[in-house]
Amino acid sequence: QNQHLGGSDYVVFDRNTENFSPITKERAAATKLKVELLYNQNVQHAVERNQRRVELEQRLNAETRMSEERKNRSRQQLGAQESNFLRLRRTRLTPNDFLTVKVIGKGAFGEVRLVQKKDTGKIYAMKTLLKTEMLRRDQLAHVKAERDVLAEADSPWVVNLHCSFQDSIYLYLIMEFLPGGDLMTMLIRYEIFPEDVTKFYMAECVLAIEAVHKLGFIHRDIKPDNILIDKEGHVKLSDFGLSTGFHKTHDQTYYNQLMEGKNASKPQQTRNSVMVDAIHLTMSDRNQMNTLRKNRRLMAYSTVGTPDYIAPEIFEQKGYGQECDWWSLGTIMFECLVGWPPFCGEDNHETYRKIMHWRETLFFPEEIQLSRNAEDLIRSLITSADQRLGRNGADEIKNHPFFAGVDWNTLRDIEAPFKPQLQSITDTSYFPTDELENVPDAPAVAAMMAQQQANNAGLPEPTAGDSGLPFIGYTYKRFDALTKAPGM
Amino acid sequence: ATSGTPRARPLFLCQPFVKASLLRGSMKTIVVLPKYVDKGEWLALNVFEFFEYLKMFHGVIQEFCTVKSCPSMSAGPKFDYKWLDSHKRPTTLPAPNYIAFVFNWIQDKTNDENIFPTKTKPITTAMLNTPSAGALTSSPAGTPGAGQQQPGDWIGKEGGFPPEFYERCRGIYKQMFRVFAHIYHTHFDKIVHLSLEAHWNSFFAHFVAFGREFDLLDKKDTESLKELIEAFDAQTASLAS
Ligand SMILES: Nc1ncnc2c1ncn2[C@@H]1O[C@H](COP(=O)(O)OP(=O)(O)OP(=O)(O)O)[C@@H](O)[C@H]1O
Repeated sequence: QNQHLGGSDYVVFDRNTENFSPITKERAAATKLKVELLYNQNVQHAVERNQRRVELEQRLNAETRMSEERKNRSRQQLGAQESNFLRLRRTRLTPNDFLTVKVIGKGAFGEVRLVQKKDTGKIYAMKTLLKTEMLRRDQLAHVKAERDVLAEADSPWVVNLHCSFQDSIYLYLIMEFLPGGDLMTMLIRYEIFPEDVTKFYMAECVLAIEAVHKLGFIHRDIKPDNILIDKEGHVKLSDFGLSTGFHKTHDQTYYNQLMEGKNASKPQQTRNSVMVDAIHLTMSDRNQMNTLRKNRRLMAYSTVGTPDYIAPEIFEQKGYGQECDWWSLGTIMFECLVGWPPFCGEDNHETYRKIMHWRETLFFPEEIQLSRNAEDLIRSLITSADQRLGRNGADEIKNHPFFAGVDWNTLRDIEAPFKPQLQSITDTSYFPTDELENVPDAPAVAAMMAQQQANNAGLPEPTAGDSGLPFIGYTYKRFDALTKAPGM
Repeated sequence: ATSGTPRARPLFLCQPFVKASLLRGSMKTIVVLPKYVDKGEWLALNVFEFFEYLKMFHGVIQEFCTVKSCPSMSAGPKFDYKWLDSHKRPTTLPAPNYIAFVFNWIQDKTNDENIFPTKTKPITTAMLNTPSAGALTSSPAGTPGAGQQQPGDWIGKEGGFPPEFYERCRGIYKQMFRVFAHIYHTHFDKIVHLSLEAHWNSFFAHFVAFGREFDLLDKKDTESLKELIEAFDAQTASLAS
């Protein structure tokens, strides 16, 4: 160290950025991050490319009877895939590269559409998220987490993310399209499930949640709308603590204010005229329950999410762990068998109160026959965090007698109880698309659209500009985005 | 903000900045053409990325590079790059204008589908020169015109890049080098104030290493940063030994 300090050309330099403009400083910070990201990714890409090649060579080596010519073809094929991936990295995707087939979901920050890539014809689900709103609501960490989980998961239990890009207004996530809709839609259709069907979905959810936990994440917002159904009828989780996630509405202050009667969110609720709180619930009336569910879905489109499935410890400031997801599973299992979520109330306030007093409010209606095992499992999930089954790992839950006979290793390969009947790769019959046409955009989204129209600006230019700073690292492209088979 | 008497050496050649580096290990890892990969795609992606990041770095010093402060595209006392006007006459331009022209010119090239194609016409195995497909692809019948002037291969042919693609890359590379040189010679202190020197050095070293690997730079065009390149080489050599 001291040696180069002694060098004659050593310069002492006082770094000082006081007179630099904020823009320059912001650009410098962004450049630093982006360059670090670039090199991390470059190395990562090199490593992964190498892995793919070595794997291929090993496979070819094992093929003693394959002709050298065919082996060469395989190598060239890999080369072609790798080359295409390089091209993809150079290609700036924009929303214009996709045709919207239909809007299949709406949320507070944007929407989910079924899209078709114009040049390849491949089908994807495209989720748009409004940047300003996300910044305002401090959602960034979550987006990044969602992206990272989705991107790196490579898990059959997690919705696959192919790539993401941004323009000055939105972030875009291009995901695999799951044509079976979500568990909520299915519950609306079937009202309740028999125990064996419930067993299937719950078992798959156990594995899915376990997979998320193994990646080091807590989902925190598992609810029927985030449990998606693939074309074979199997389950995948989406939406990692994102939009209607926890920060948006389920934080402490929000509920404190509600409890103190300040009605912090009242304006938000009434603005959405479709969800006036006029429904009176008699718990055993199935029709009414379905009306409730439909209303709840409308609620999911609004800025106010449902707390129905959220564990009580999340509302307290004491901290929580992965076991909060097992509580959610318990409430969903209750809903599958009973027909409504265990703590549903006329409004979020009441639901919140019921969750906090779960000891008194958890109640199994007499007219519904549950097996002892089912009720026991639910009760061991809907319980205090330090007692909850699953707190020592998912195996505890897997070993519960309710799941007797489940082969955990082959679950995803067996025939699902319900397999979507699809007419085409763009079939959206499992999505409430008609309903969505009448759902107003979330206020922030609507405001943005109005402004865009006023500016007559058309689609915004893709930028990596100054406003991109917090979204650095967002642009993600996945190797097999191009190499996977289309849609179905 | 610097100490003592006027320096004979430009700041970027002085300790400790000349040693500042974000990257360790061999540039080869990220520079060499990956096996079986189309050379055109590899060049295209890298040239594209160097351009994107060079624009970003330039954005950082932009407010200091004005018509007043930089009346010519200089790179130290010995070099003044000229812009060729529409009659191919060398003209002096203020550095910000020169750089703006260069960036626009490169942008036009990289956005040109005929030079840097991106539309997924995915490369298929049949298009690559496998032993079995070779006979087909070298047949002139399928490609009238293009085959005449150059019966053989050119870089990026399989990926749909034009015959002049490689020369275009070299042209872009040469101009990018000048922007590096101007920033090093004129604005490096700003880079240091902003604590970006390790990032900037490594980015340049990467640029040079890639240029060498694919012969994208003529030696005469790199004179203005010769000493820096030599210093980097010496560091690499001492690391390797
Ligand atoms: N990959 C996908 N394939 C098919 N449908 C999807 C996909 N992703 C989302 N959807 C549909 O869109 C709906 C909304 O998606 P999601 O929950 O991810 O967005 P959001 O509503 O903005 O978020 P939040 O649920 O936190 O409000 C889902 O309930 C589902 O019906």
